[in-house]
Amino acid sequence: MRINKLSRLTRTMPLNRWLVLIWVLAVVGSASMSGQNLPAPSPVSGPSTQATPVKNPRAGDPQAIRTGTALFRMRCASCHGRDATGAAAGSDLTALLASGVTDEDLFRVVRRGVSDTLLPHSFGPNEDVWAIVAYLRTLNTSRSDENPPGSAENGQRVFSASCGSCHRVDGRGGVLGPDLSQIGSQRSRAALAHKIRHASAYFVFGYEPVTLGTGAGQRVRGVKKNEDAFSIQIMRTDERLEGHVKANLRDVINDDTSVMPDFGREQISDRNLNDLLRYLTTLRGENRKPSLKED
Amino acid sequence: MHMPITRSVWVALVAALVGTVSLTGQQRTSRGITSQDLLDGLKDPSRWLMYSGDYTGQRHSPLTQLTPENVRRLIPQWIFQTDQPPGGRGLEGVPLVLDGVIYFTGNNNTAWALDARTGRPFWAYRRQFPSGRSTRAVNRGFGLLDDRLFLGTLDAHLMALDMKTGSVIWDVVLADHTKGYAFTSAPLVINNKVIVGPGTGERNRGFIAAYDAQTGKQVWRFWATPEPGEPGSETWPNAEAMAVGGGAAWVIGSYDRELNLIYWGTGNAVPVYDLDDEVRKGDNLHTASIVALDADTGKLRWYYQFTPHDTYDWDAAQVPVLADLVVDGQPRKVVMQANRNGFFYVLDRTNGKLLQAKPFVDSDWAREIGPNGQPIVLENGTAKCIPESHGATNFFPPSYDPTRGLFFVTAHETCMMYNPLKTGGADARLGNWTVGGIGYAALRALDPKTGTLRWEFRFPPGDLATKLRNAAGIGLSGGITSTASGLVFTGDNEGNFIAFDADTGKNLWHYQVGAPVWGSAPTTFMLDGRQHVLIAAGVSLIDFALPDTSRP
Repeated sequence: MRINKLSRLTRTMPLNRWLVLIWVLAVVGSASMSGQNLPAPSPVSGPSTQATPVKNPRAGDPQAIRTGTALFRMRCASCHGRDATGAAAGSDLTALLASGVTDEDLFRVVRRGVSDTLLPHSFGPNEDVWAIVAYLRTLNTSRSDENPPGSAENGQRVFSASCGSCHRVDGRGGVLGPDLSQIGSQRSRAALAHKIRHASAYFVFGYEPVTLGTGAGQRVRGVKKNEDAFSIQIMRTDERLEGHVKANLRDVINDDTSVMPDFGREQISDRNLNDLLRYLTTLRGENRKPSLKED
Repeated sequence: MHMPITRSVWVALVAALVGTVSLTGQQRTSRGITSQDLLDGLKDPSRWLMYSGDYTGQRHSPLTQLTPENVRRLIPQWIFQTDQPPGGRGLEGVPLVLDGVIYFTGNNNTAWALDARTGRPFWAYRRQFPSGRSTRAVNRGFGLLDDRLFLGTLDAHLMALDMKTGSVIWDVVLADHTKGYAFTSAPLVINNKVIVGPGTGERNRGFIAAYDAQTGKQVWRFWATPEPGEPGSETWPNAEAMAVGGGAAWVIGSYDRELNLIYWGTGNAVPVYDLDDEVRKGDNLHTASIVALDADTGKLRWYYQFTPHDTYDWDAAQVPVLADLVVDGQPRKVVMQANRNGFFYVLDRTNGKLLQAKPFVDSDWAREIGPNGQPIVLENGTAKCIPESHGATNFFPPSYDPTRGLFFVTAHETCMMYNPLKTGGADARLGNWTVGGIGYAALRALDPKTGTLRWEFRFPPGDLATKLRNAAGIGLSGGITSTASGLVFTGDNEGNFIAFDADTGKNLWHYQVGAPVWGSAPTTFMLDGRQHVLIAAGVSLIDFALPDTSRP
């Protein structure tokens, strides 16, 4: 997806009000997997919420579900995966559905998009949007991790030891990798397990590994924040933001290997992985500090 | 041309590197900006760390690569177009620069980190306005310290953002935006405190507040109008009016490290048009003033009120400029302000005593400023030429060249007839726009020791449509930045970004950027051995430098 690069960049949408948190839960699923954002709906696109019926008029309608399936595969699957369990660009919608999102929330997210993520607002007719919602409701969202095994406490220790230097949770940790403060509502346990063991399985937008050969013959490694035909902007592995003009570089190598190492059993045992996954699935963005009140 | 040798070779190499990557990921080589770095101001030529460049408010760069001789060869390097509609006003921000990255704020609660070499973004930030419509659209910039940026928002929050990602570190509600409060000014960061003042929508009480840069907790708050019984409350016979009496501190202040005082301008008293003086009799402290506050405690050390009982909307919301001058044979630590009321003031910044005040535009408002610091105001009704409500100048920052001893200011010769605010009288705003014509704007160089005009460059007034469009400021509404090499940069309402000779006022170079340079001010810095100049106009940020001769 080589569309608007700017929109690929991650943005945080700070949320200060409890009310909005509900909204966030609705939106999280479609947020860019670039991580640390708590996106909010675009303010202008789409019809006003008052005009939106609360119930899906096409709920359970077999024709609508067929239409919705086709529309999903055409319009949504490239980011959210054919089975809606997430891919590099889009998050796991089954995790979102399992979180108790309403049909109206789903409608609104599709209709308005999520500002500063890849998710655009939809111009499609209401009935098509409702058809997609009807389809999403047919997905199996019973979670294998409803009674998850493992110790979140030990998982947090594993996280601090192995992950925290590059990943941030609730304001602590590195920023070379995506913020994981709400990863539990964006990725399934299985998907997380796979990514930890096979770090280069896919790269999240804004975190693609890149190696630059400078004119002075040095190698600079980092993750790609932006690029055009003539320049590239990276975060180096030491977290420094650095822009380069390509004419001054010898090489720009889009690496096949993530800056995140594969964590095999030698690095994280099965038991520790189990605990780590338990911890990660608890991260749902709920510990975000609310705004301090006016003094 | 860059071409990978072969991908597989690199895969092998990269695989070999992987083991070390997690280690390098733990190294935090980028050093955060310290309070000392901020005190050092523009000492490091690659940096521009605060709105005014340094704490003095002088907006005077020590850089000398660009000179009156070579500036005519200045060319654009890149243009960053924001995706935000201007909201009736263009960008007014001053970009900050650190380690080759530009930190820039835009309209409607947006901000970016840009690659200074190319203008390409590393990250973008956008904050949804919570509900309803904001009455303001603009923002004038970040403050920074450590690894974080500080942003005042249109919904009256103060936020700390991570410089590397744009993600929120803390978020504090400072005031109720539904009561008119909004931040458009860049914060001033001093000794681990973030200091800001809001606009109050002409309907509330202003304040200046300091927040802990690490935690977002309030350290102190100074209210521009006093509490009942406090000093200054005697200037408000009506306590109810005092409680919402204005004094919005909506433009950034300055700081003297030795005196540990911050200097901040306050806005007009509200309601500004006080018919028959029935709401707010008295001088209305501390509106339309400079206040000097202890930086640690926010305690008022002294104040100077430029326009007692203002009824003209003459905010003192301009950057106070600090300098050391010899006035009447005496070396003085001064604070200077060219005020909306048409006088250029020089105060002793240790105690607020008036050293000198001279008009820098035509005005019949006051015959002079008396030795006690009070204006000797001509009676309403006899004045033919009063600086109009947008003032003889406005918030766009001036600059001061300490070597040449020149104060550069955007001046508006747009005075109007003033109808006294008596029952049955006409609204002051409906007075004649100017006496004897449409008026004009000029870039003026003042000698602050004498208050006299050294040179000026006049701008044509434009047609009526232009006048209406740019109501505040015919011709010229750009901020000013000067350089040690003798250049003065500013921009006009017609979209010209211009370099002047600091000694003579001669126009040396100009470039049409396609939108008014309105309220923004230039930033200049060194990058890869070349001096750059940034200016925001319309929806764009534009970077200029001399042609790169290092490339074939």
